Amino acid sequence: MTGPRPTPAAVALSPPSEAQTVILAQKGDVDALDELARSCRQQAYIFALQLIGHPDDALDVAQDAMVRFFRSLGRFDASRPVRPWLLRIVRNLVRDRARRLRVRKTESLEPADDVLRFEPRDTAPDPEAQASRRELQALVWQCLQRIHPRYREVLVLRDYQDLSYAEIAKTLKIPRGTVMSRLHRARRLLQEEVRRHRSGTGEATDD
Amino acid sequence: MTDRCPASFDETLISGYIDGELTQAAEQRVRIHLEDCTYCRGLIDELRTLREAAMSTEFSRPDDSQWDERPKTGLSLAARGTGWVVAIIWAVALAGFALWQFWQGSENLMERFLVFGGLSALVLLFLSVLLDRLRTAQTDPYREVEK
Repeated sequence: MTGPRPTPAAVALSPPSEAQTVILAQKGDVDALDELARSCRQQAYIFALQLIGHPDDALDVAQDAMVRFFRSLGRFDASRPVRPWLLRIVRNLVRDRARRLRVRKTESLEPADDVLRFEPRDTAPDPEAQASRRELQALVWQCLQRIHPRYREVLVLRDYQDLSYAEIAKTLKIPRGTVMSRLHRARRLLQEEVRRHRSGTGEATDD
Repeated sequence: MTDRCPASFDETLISGYIDGELTQAAEQRVRIHLEDCTYCRGLIDELRTLREAAMSTEFSRPDDSQWDERPKTGLSLAARGTGWVVAIIWAVALAGFALWQFWQGSENLMERFLVFGGLSALVLLFLSVLLDRLRTAQTDPYREVEK
């Protein structure tokens, strides 16, 4: 039903090895701590980038997320997967940041267009197909940044982070049925934005 | 193309169908509906195209030099915590000793009351802020941010 999923957005540990690494890290093993840091920080950065749209802001959020991640590592249940927990930390930090920006009445930086990477595993048969795919990827990315954050986060978790509905429900602390309805609304908003962009009007749809 | 499915059909099922997240019965319902609904077939194609574009997008990542050092844990964190506690006890003891000396050394009663009155006001203000913070920490919806 769904197409083949390319490799995840960041280098993640396999579940059994992840649990073992977490247990060792909780005991203070330096190698395990470093391995966990390497694996998690890229995931935190990519997710923050997808939510915020700007690499400098995303790096700040990811750094904060790693501090919080390691501060609470001792309390984490190693039998649970790390990723939803990590993404939840990032998502909450992004929300707090948005709230601070609203209070200070300051604007976030404009989403960056140069964060997409178009290399080497693009196996499309001809250059024209490749070019049109890249164009669509860039357009979807650009339109994603224009939809409301509440819808953007669910779309990112499903379509960019490849989380199941159950994992999204845990990450956002909402019922599974709400995940499906919110995701559908998000996809419709994105579709509308893409159509609008293609027709040349380019107005935002924040509601 | 209209903006809605012309039939009375729960459109949110379309996303569940695309993601393979429906129960068998719900999936069957969608399949039956799709046989007759050109609108929903077109919608599925369009949403799938957008989804595949998103799924295949790769992002540039910062290199290792851009990351801060891994936050300290374990012994170094405990040492830092202990250091803070000792430093606070030392500062409080020193301030208490200095005040005691001042109280003993100063002959002028007005001077004593002015200094102690000002300090008491500062301590009360500090306590009120501390209590506010503690109350907020208990009711803050984001207190589970790290869990």
